[in-house]
Amino acid sequence: MKNGAFVVFRKEMARFLGDRRLFFTTVILPGLLIFIMYNIMGNVMADTIGSKLTAETNVYAVNIPKGVKNLVESGAFNVTVISEDEIENAKKEIEEKNITLCIVFPKDFENSVNNFNPNLRKQTVPNVEIYYSSADMASSAAYSRIVDILDVYESAVSNVFDVNFAANSQDQEKYDIATNEQTTGTLFASLLPMMLMTLMYSSCMALAPESIAGEKERGTFATLLITPVPREQIALGKVLALSCMALLSGLSNFLGTVLSMPALMSSVMETSDTSISVAVYTPKDFGLLILVILSTVIMYVTVISVLSTIAKTVKEASTLTLPFMMAVMFIGFSALYSTDAKNEIVWYLIPAYNSVQSMIGIFSFNAVTVNILVTAGVNLAVSAVGMVLLRALFNNERVMFAR
Amino acid sequence: MKEILKVENVTKSFKLSAKQRKIEKTDEKIKIAVSDLSFSAYEGEIFGLLGPNGAGKTTTLRILSTLIKPDSGDAFIKGISVVKEPDKVRNMVGFLTSELKLEDFFTPDFLYDFFSDMYKIPTDAREERKKYLFSKFGIDKFAGVKVANLSTGMKQKVSLVVSIAHDPDIIIFDEPTNGLDVITAKVVTDFLKELKEQGKTIILSTHIFSLVEKLCDRAGIIIDGVLTVCSDIETLTKDKSLEDVFFDLYYEKKGDSV
Repeated sequence: MKNGAFVVFRKEMARFLGDRRLFFTTVILPGLLIFIMYNIMGNVMADTIGSKLTAETNVYAVNIPKGVKNLVESGAFNVTVISEDEIENAKKEIEEKNITLCIVFPKDFENSVNNFNPNLRKQTVPNVEIYYSSADMASSAAYSRIVDILDVYESAVSNVFDVNFAANSQDQEKYDIATNEQTTGTLFASLLPMMLMTLMYSSCMALAPESIAGEKERGTFATLLITPVPREQIALGKVLALSCMALLSGLSNFLGTVLSMPALMSSVMETSDTSISVAVYTPKDFGLLILVILSTVIMYVTVISVLSTIAKTVKEASTLTLPFMMAVMFIGFSALYSTDAKNEIVWYLIPAYNSVQSMIGIFSFNAVTVNILVTAGVNLAVSAVGMVLLRALFNNERVMFAR
Repeated sequence: MKEILKVENVTKSFKLSAKQRKIEKTDEKIKIAVSDLSFSAYEGEIFGLLGPNGAGKTTTLRILSTLIKPDSGDAFIKGISVVKEPDKVRNMVGFLTSELKLEDFFTPDFLYDFFSDMYKIPTDAREERKKYLFSKFGIDKFAGVKVANLSTGMKQKVSLVVSIAHDPDIIIFDEPTNGLDVITAKVVTDFLKELKEQGKTIILSTHIFSLVEKLCDRAGIIIDGVLTVCSDIETLTKDKSLEDVFFDLYYEKKGDSV
């Protein structure tokens, strides 16, 4: 003798797994799309930032001292010296993108620099003007590079003190005492909770309205209701099956995101830091994370199921769930770029918000196990209330048979 | 004869939306679908509910099959109340109506197994009965074809077979031959007779006089939610045909408004 909830669960799973098209569009496709899109985005970003300065770049310079010219040329620039009269012309050429920028040094620049006495107050310092176009990526990239070079030159001629001076970037890194673990923690805690919350929601949204409002709309739900299986078992079977599918779909999204992380991050971060990896988390962290995700998905599914039951059609269901979606998005975005989880247990009594806080805690290695357990408990309690509501709704003929 | 179904003073009304009120050209916010309905059915008989569209036939049958609850009154199947113990009643009743649909995605084979499991039928008994019913209605050849790809008639046959997968003692059919061709309709009516011979009780609704005359042992005529006549067929058709009986009652009830 089989339990009714199990029979319903098995049917829902057969519906989902047996339909290759549905399986592909809800499980395979989202993850694949995210992976491809993020990789393309990462590559495009790396291209636009990196490539503009690899080729030899033409710049004009007025009154440029010999030493500075050498310094600039060593930074892969072709320097053409022009006279002051030609500045207006140079500006046009920048506009037409023939050259990237024009550096104008004051006359007698080197003398004024050498005669500069830091003990004399209110002495005007020579001003170097650089004409460039912020609308042109090559020009603005060249601009920031030239400013860097001039900064180096400035500290070379009148160095009072340095901050974290290093000949190359490898040496520079020794000052940053953050471990890989902490870097990963900060990064993940600021991005993943928001991403996971929205991914889980969209996975649930892709499935639950179809399974409940859809069955109502097509008239197949009533066929379930004339069987002697108690309503709560029908509800339980549906919610469990939907949660499983939503988790599968969410997992695919998550894999797509995590796998494309290196490509995305290497372009955003200056250093080609490939050390970002989920390997810094312990099995206990993963266990807690799974608990949070599981309880959150079940809660989402139950809430969306209740709303889908009230709705007459799938379309109406997606309208009814809008406020819920906005709340979820809002809570998700509240976590963006926050790296510290709240410690007080009260925060973990608020459904959905507690999931976000728990995830921040887990990703930043500050998780308090009791808080996570409270989170799971609260989410499951909300689901239980939802289940009772579902049962009542399934018994309500005006809800189930209203046209 | 053993009384197996007893309907006692069942009343059911629906709220009308503004749109529905406009269509029906009425200001009343509540439509009484069934009013103070009482009748009984006995073991091994076919009972027909005859009436025009919108008379309350389907509402009555939906109450009997526990899909909806009456506002007042009650119905008892083998002494068990459809209001108080609907779960028990569902085990004893098979309900077939066009508004109960089967999921297009599944095959008749899968759906039969699924609904048998919902009724907790042991696997051996399920397989045996499936074989018998599938071959009886010629579904065996289509057992592996998705419902979406079946013809209308075949779909209806699958619905019929699924609705009696648990071998219920009482079978409630809403317009059993609607939408079927003459050949399939005959298969269905022959099957109803066979069920009756097995001692099952069948309650059916229809607006087809000949079906009642041919099949039913007893019948009730519902007009505007009120059971105007309830008797055995011989008594009903003693003086005139069922059709004439119906129209006499109908004009009497409706008066000049027709």
